[in-house]
Amino acid sequence: MGRWGIAHVYASFNNVIITITDLTGAETIARSSGGMVTKSAKDEGSPYSAMRVAQRVAEIAKEKGIDSVHIKVRGKGGTGSKSPGPGAQAAIRALVRAGLKVGRIEDATPIPHDGGRRKGGKRGRRV
Amino acid sequence: MAKAKSRAAARKIKDKWKAKSWYRVLAPALFDNVPVAETLAADKNLLLNRVTEVSLQDLTGDFRRSHVKLHFKIDKVEGSDAHTFFIGHNLTPDYVRRLVRRRRSRIDGVYDVTTRDGAIIRLKPFATTEKRLQSSQKHVIRSIMKDTSTSFAKERTLSEFIKDILDGNLGAEISKNCKKFYPLRKVEIYKSELLRRPTITIEEPKKKKKEEKVEEKQPEKKEEPVKEKPEASEKKPVKKTEEEPEKKETEEKPEEAAEEKKTVEDKTKNEPKKRTTKKKTTKTTKSKKEGK
Repeated sequence: MGRWGIAHVYASFNNVIITITDLTGAETIARSSGGMVTKSAKDEGSPYSAMRVAQRVAEIAKEKGIDSVHIKVRGKGGTGSKSPGPGAQAAIRALVRAGLKVGRIEDATPIPHDGGRRKGGKRGRRV
Repeated sequence: MAKAKSRAAARKIKDKWKAKSWYRVLAPALFDNVPVAETLAADKNLLLNRVTEVSLQDLTGDFRRSHVKLHFKIDKVEGSDAHTFFIGHNLTPDYVRRLVRRRRSRIDGVYDVTTRDGAIIRLKPFATTEKRLQSSQKHVIRSIMKDTSTSFAKERTLSEFIKDILDGNLGAEISKNCKKFYPLRKVEIYKSELLRRPTITIEEPKKKKKEEKVEEKQPEKKEEPVKEKPEASEKKPVKKTEEEPEKKETEEKPEEAAEEKKTVEDKTKNEPKKRTTKKKTTKTTKSKKEGK
């Protein structure tokens, strides 16, 4: 019984969160994040932890009878960076490697039509 | 105690999963009730108002239309089947971004449009041109967009209208009408939202009503367009009898198809490059990790 799901991959610079849901997105099937696989906070967003997150999630999903997924990748978006973080590619790769069939891969970063002011003030971030 | 509690919690979670059963989600009658997705729930009523996203490619098998996503909302559950209705569509952002280039104009519009059976749809067409337009030219094009889409909707029931949007007939019609003022490169409806469903039909003998409707509507429309709404309930069953719009498709498709092929080719060119780059990066990161 092959069922489809959606793998929501949220890859910011500081973390990776993967949630596998059914096709309506209403029911969560598996969920994991960077903090669940690493101990140091700085590694949460790294590609290696993203890989392990993806493996974990894939395992649970397969157990529950889902063997193919559409992937929705998302960066921080909004006023933050519009491109997904370093963990995104590793996560996708690991999902494929873990034996899940992959349908569509899509960028789902929320992009403001015209949103609030980006943080940092008028003169920008002064390091 | 703590152990016992955690065990109990674990048991509960497992039970929750087991208590849920799978339901098939069927596409609306417009798309022949094809099973579109599967979803799970503990209770039937929880299924209501869930939304699934389906690409047109999955429904029609036409790979050129994979950039169109349809949204279906569940409104009725029978046994293990969940029935849906169409609540809107949009084009994938990457497709839209491909069409929009520098030094060319992109003309947007947002219009609320009423169909013949009283449904209100919010349409968001957009057009691209070869060169940058003056704002006066844009104004003209926008007004034409509005007129054609409103008149287009008026002549059709909701399901006919949706089909025409998805087949690109409305876009073709707009570009045809705009040609006299300025030739457009591509016209697409990049988003639609259903604001009001057609007033529901009461199941009564349909044949008699059809005849009445056809006679009544035409004079009414010209005089008082406002009056249509209350009668909307009767008009719905006409859908299948009128199949004129389909003829138009065949005439206008070849141009579109050619253009779309180009875009598809672009895709194929672009994609493999990306993938290879991705792999490389991941590999390097991996090797670094291992080195550490």
